[in-house]
Amino acid sequence: MTRRDFLRGTLGTTLGASLVGSKFLTAGGMTRSRRGSDSSLVTIVRDKDAMDAGNTVNTNVLRAMLDDILIKVTGKTTPEQAWLSLVTPDDTIGLVPTPHLNPTHQEVVDAVRSSLIEAGIPEDKILEAQGGSDKPRACTALIGLPGLKAHWLTGIGTVMKLYILYSGNPRNYHDEDSAKLGEIWNYPFVKGKTKLVLVDALHPLCDKGPQPDPRYKWPYNGLIAGTDPVAVETVCLRIIQEKRKAMRGEDWPLSPPPICVEAADKIYGLGTSNWENIKVEHYGWDQDLLLG
Amino acid sequence: MLILVIVVLILGGFELFEGMKLTQSRPILPKTVGMWTGPDSPQIVTADNIFDYMDGAGELYLGYRFDHIEVYEYRAQYQPEILVELYFMKTSDDAFGLLSLDWGGEPVELDPASQKENGDRGSNWPYALYGEGLLRLWSDDIYARVMASQETSESREAVLELSRSITKDRKNPSPPELMGRLPDSFEPNWELRRDRASYFRSHLVLNSLYYLGHENMLELDLTTEGVAAPYEKKDSSGGSARFQFLYVNYAESVEAKEALSHFHRVYLPEHSFPEQSDDSQKVVNIFPIEDGWLGYRLKENTLAFVFECPDQETVRTILKQIE
Repeated sequence: MTRRDFLRGTLGTTLGASLVGSKFLTAGGMTRSRRGSDSSLVTIVRDKDAMDAGNTVNTNVLRAMLDDILIKVTGKTTPEQAWLSLVTPDDTIGLVPTPHLNPTHQEVVDAVRSSLIEAGIPEDKILEAQGGSDKPRACTALIGLPGLKAHWLTGIGTVMKLYILYSGNPRNYHDEDSAKLGEIWNYPFVKGKTKLVLVDALHPLCDKGPQPDPRYKWPYNGLIAGTDPVAVETVCLRIIQEKRKAMRGEDWPLSPPPICVEAADKIYGLGTSNWENIKVEHYGWDQDLLLG
Repeated sequence: MLILVIVVLILGGFELFEGMKLTQSRPILPKTVGMWTGPDSPQIVTADNIFDYMDGAGELYLGYRFDHIEVYEYRAQYQPEILVELYFMKTSDDAFGLLSLDWGGEPVELDPASQKENGDRGSNWPYALYGEGLLRLWSDDIYARVMASQETSESREAVLELSRSITKDRKNPSPPELMGRLPDSFEPNWELRRDRASYFRSHLVLNSLYYLGHENMLELDLTTEGVAAPYEKKDSSGGSARFQFLYVNYAESVEAKEALSHFHRVYLPEHSFPEQSDDSQKVVNIFPIEDGWLGYRLKENTLAFVFECPDQETVRTILKQIE
């Protein structure tokens, strides 16, 4: 352990101590996957034809990938059954895409919406729920649809950062307080509502920005999904780190380090960041999976 | 009396004339470039609405001396959009700092006839870099990003033409003086990683370059300036060793001393902050820590650090070479 790691540890300990007894900390909210209580399942589905050479999304291929990943994540036999194991027609379902810096492809949001409707969810019960706290308050279920990306203030800006606007003051979660991103997931009007995290990994961004630079984007052509948000983020982090190493031919650590991921596990109880406790299954195109 | 008036007028006239000569040209972007057409007027982004425009990315620009952004979107039928962002900074150094955060990409000479003034400010640094549709440039107090949403031969040419229009008739001042504190090499055989040499002011930016800790332990703000870079030495077996170099300039000596004291409390809590002797303005210390040897030198209003050094003697040698 280096001194800089130690300073991270001190931060985590401090945060942990300050949150003892917090009303937000009770009962965690982590959802284990169908793998059971000992591990969390994260599923990756890729197709090299998901985008063409101009990075235009092939919606037919994307839809097939979505159907496939829903079945694999839930263990059901059809996408309809898969959705109905996660949500009900009585739910008001919020779709939460990444709005800025490598935003979620609209094609992904549209595919999820269509798929939900085909599963019997009334169209008017499906909302776009990125924005202020009124959005999750209006929903009984949330489907996280983040874009895979690094971030210059939080190290990684994919899953844990997705709900930052729900806080009403995103600047409160920059700098050292980026470790506290997990607390937003435990707000009373958010907690327990996230039924699935489906990451748009079609065209990720592996450097932190803060604005998009096409040199650091590459066609991964994938979707990544799971019901444990921290496990999904941990897999996303691995992919980003492996891509950075491959791109530079040397270690190229994220700076600042993505402490929000470990904090989401150890302080906020949202899931597991321990690689040993994550089961990764991948299907389809397997070139450059970047899983280490 | 008349003579005095004439002299004043002449001198005033010269001053005005010189002043006019020194007045910086504002970029005039073309209405059309190739197939693309731009807006009649730009969108203006200030510190008040920068987060609405770019989310948390705004913290980066506020970490330098920022004034405002002008945003132009160029559109053409069946062609990718081209986004032009002109970041007006309060000094040339700040605009340079933004470019210095990433030296990747292909260096581009936008104005071959212009006089560049790198002088003794360290190595020659590019003024413009292009990669896969994005051109980033530094032109005096402007940092600019010109990006095609998709790279084609036509969009590349349009991006270059727009970039040339930004830099046209503008000064090309020297890089920040502080960049001269990053020599190309330290003895013996430690070479500057030019691709990682950066100029910064805020601890958020420093943490994105070299993470010390989330606390602002060096008490950086917009009155301070710093440079950071790794240095590497290759060995005969093909391996390499590396240390991280950091140099910070404070407005006052007392601020540098307070910053070092703060750093000690957080980063070196097992070591008390040494009292400065009355007859010396210089403090040098070296410590072994978990990831190698750490050394610093406090001299007047400056702090220099060497992190992750392989041995004590190297730290000592490096610190002796710092001007």
